[in-house]
Amino acid sequence: MNSVLTQLQPSAPHQNRLEEQDELDRTDAASWGSMAGFGNLDRTGGVQGMSIPRVSDPTSFLDMHTDNMSSNPDAKIKIAHGTTTLAFKFQGGVIVAVDSRATAGSYVASGTVKKVIEINKFLLGTMAGGAADCQYWETYLGMQCRLYELRNKERISVAAASKILSNIVYQYKGMGLSMGTMVCGWDKTGPCIFYVDSDGQRLKGDLFSVGSGSTFAYGVLDQGYRWDLTDEEAQELGRRSIIAAGHRDAYSGNTCNLYHVKENGWDFIGNYDVNELWYEYEGKKKAERESQNAAAAAGASPMAVEP
Amino acid sequence: MALYHNQPMAHAQEPTAAPIEHRFNPYSDNGGSILAIAGTDFSVIAGDTRQSEGYNIQTRYARKVWQLTDKAVLATNGFAADGNNFVKRVKQRLEWYEHAHHKPMGLKSIARMIQTMLYGKRFFPYYVYNILGGIEEDGSGAVYSFDPVGSYEREACRAAGAAQSLIQPFLDNQIYFKNQQPEPGSQPFIPGNLPLATVLSLVVDSFTSATERHIEVGDGMEIYIVMARDRTTDDLLGEGKLQKGMEIEELGTLGEGQGERTFLVRQALKRD
Amino acid sequence: MVSKAVETPNAGFDFSNYARNEFFGQRLQGIPKATSTGTTIVGVIFGGGDSGEEPGVCLGADTRATGGPIVADKNCEKIHYLTPQIRCCGAGTAADTEFVTNLISSNLELHALSQGRPARVVTAMTMLKQYLFRYQGHVGAHLVLGGVDVTGPQLFTVHAHGSTDKLPYVTMGSGSLAAMAVFESSFKENMKREEAIALVSRAIRSGIFNDLGSGSNVDVAVITKNGTENLRNYEMPNERGLKSRNYKFRRGTTAWTKESIRSLIVSEEIKSTSGAGKDQGGVEVVPVPTGAGAGGEEGMEIDS
Repeated sequence: MNSVLTQLQPSAPHQNRLEEQDELDRTDAASWGSMAGFGNLDRTGGVQGMSIPRVSDPTSFLDMHTDNMSSNPDAKIKIAHGTTTLAFKFQGGVIVAVDSRATAGSYVASGTVKKVIEINKFLLGTMAGGAADCQYWETYLGMQCRLYELRNKERISVAAASKILSNIVYQYKGMGLSMGTMVCGWDKTGPCIFYVDSDGQRLKGDLFSVGSGSTFAYGVLDQGYRWDLTDEEAQELGRRSIIAAGHRDAYSGNTCNLYHVKENGWDFIGNYDVNELWYEYEGKKKAERESQNAAAAAGASPMAVEP
Repeated sequence: MALYHNQPMAHAQEPTAAPIEHRFNPYSDNGGSILAIAGTDFSVIAGDTRQSEGYNIQTRYARKVWQLTDKAVLATNGFAADGNNFVKRVKQRLEWYEHAHHKPMGLKSIARMIQTMLYGKRFFPYYVYNILGGIEEDGSGAVYSFDPVGSYEREACRAAGAAQSLIQPFLDNQIYFKNQQPEPGSQPFIPGNLPLATVLSLVVDSFTSATERHIEVGDGMEIYIVMARDRTTDDLLGEGKLQKGMEIEELGTLGEGQGERTFLVRQALKRD
Repeated sequence: MVSKAVETPNAGFDFSNYARNEFFGQRLQGIPKATSTGTTIVGVIFGGGDSGEEPGVCLGADTRATGGPIVADKNCEKIHYLTPQIRCCGAGTAADTEFVTNLISSNLELHALSQGRPARVVTAMTMLKQYLFRYQGHVGAHLVLGGVDVTGPQLFTVHAHGSTDKLPYVTMGSGSLAAMAVFESSFKENMKREEAIALVSRAIRSGIFNDLGSGSNVDVAVITKNGTENLRNYEMPNERGLKSRNYKFRRGTTAWTKESIRSLIVSEEIKSTSGAGKDQGGVEVVPVPTGAGAGGEEGMEIDS
């Protein structure tokens, strides 16, 4: 624009990023609607057209105007948050279970969110933290995985896929991205789960739960988890954990989505109403108690029964 | 854009070595509310027309709902300047797409495009809540709702804006039948297949009620109705189908037309 | 154990709760918000001169009370009673305007009783401003005070910090600019009573339609030396139309987890009495007028 002005500018910490072109100036083929709508992505994986406010500290600008994890309730831009997600490996593959509630402050923004993102036939990603961050980058990860397949004539490993994601978010570290995700799948090594978050953390493990309701989910999960669970037992454990979290955590709930990853890809098992299922469990517990009491009264069991 | 380019200049003129930064606040809230409901073969997208800032009415007629294609309508709410600019850019991208592919963009593609456009400004967000309504490739009515940075979802109905917390619970009850038990022995409720007449009166009641209890909602409302091809229009254009005070107009096709029809219904709301 | 509490000074202002409130405000989601009557209130002096009419004061108010952007009350009363011939319109924090006018009304009644003559409007004004100044604006009452006393019609505004103005036409509240625009273009001295009422209601309407904090109906009060006329809901330009659907729910719509029906009467026995509690003919119950004072004007109704 004007070189004098550029010279006068104080050097900002994000100077290189300030070199953004205006979105309207970019009239190359990429922004004409091809590339599956991801026209603003360059080959390195970063987003070139990411517009950043021209202030010396864009991160604090973003903090000021957005409400991350209800830390800034006065902010106008509410970003959907709050979650319970879990995934675990067992003898029959990987179980992935999530709730479906999105909250903005104390408002339940949606009760029908798909928090499992179907990256491809063999890979699932979960969503905790910023809904848009997870949705966008995991969709983008799907593209990168497909490109990997085309280039290498074989499926990408879960390790490699999760590393692509973790490398991307690490590029943006400190700029306000918020994700806690589990990349789950089945590759040459068998069932596999990687936890990736926006701090840059990437962990391999057998069992994870992420989100505000994770403590409640872990409670149920840990007491029922064994490697040699049957398929039905494992699915029920995942479902039961989400129901428990959805019942106790105000920021989780509505419905539970359940997936099972097997050797030939993932299966969607079902969608369950948290409330309905909770009362179903309660009903079963009550019926069990009553039958035990009846049995005790009949003198069939020598065991003491709780009143 | 001038605003942002000029910003460093102000710094340059400061006599101090370090730039003194004032709190940069480019956002404002212009009130109002939007709402969309999907039917089996139609989609209704509505918004009020009041634009306000604080206790002042900037205008009693500002458009918040926009026809994008023959089968897509977009409603925007939040910061009006961002909203208007966003719609302008969406329309431009739609035109580019048509030049490149010789066909208008489909609804689900528009939804995905809106996600990428919003996310492109993840670190300098558009303060806009978007609801996209229209007819899907398979002829079904659809509603997509977005957050300001691009997370989105297809739904049967959605309210956004100033009165969303007044309208959405009403919609949950009337559209999703939340907290309603079906009559014993009768069929369970199935959300998303209400007749057009019912949907229209729910929309009208949503806005008249929001006007009663929310100071930023009022003046007038615009209801866009997108109908799938070959669908009857008798339930909209027939004698006595519209309520008193409603005006209807059919919006001509934007492109060559594939049979979808878009209607615009206007009605006055209270002005206090 | 010896208390180590800092001795509180026995004079001056005590702002010790200020820091506490700020702290809670940060920890909670903001300091709890009081219902504010985002409001249009106005007053004019009319009559006298060559109008040939009794001089008087005409007050007006809208009827919307808000809590943030939500309408809390669609038809509240903002013209408060002080004495039979003094009224006070309130804007600002609803609770503060209500209690401050109630308090001053009581004190004016006591004042009238001790002095043996009706209190003047300036007296009310002085009591209000001294009270409000003491609280340094923390009592959020913004008032339009009007009435007729031995000195003739009087009209004041009283701000929450304690400052006052004495003017022939005044407006206050969030709709004050909209209403003042009407006054500035159309006010005349020595208007007729009907002219004054029309002007006041036009000013309030201007607030109702152009200010989001004001809305619903127009309340008017006209005070002359002959008495006060309360024109509650003088205009109702914002009545709600019919809803387009019926929202009556079928009986049994609400789910329940448990049903138990039991008789609350465990046992019952009937005993006859001497008949002292029976209705005794000849004693007529009539409403008793309770004289002047808050609410006394109409006479308290006795349950019949």
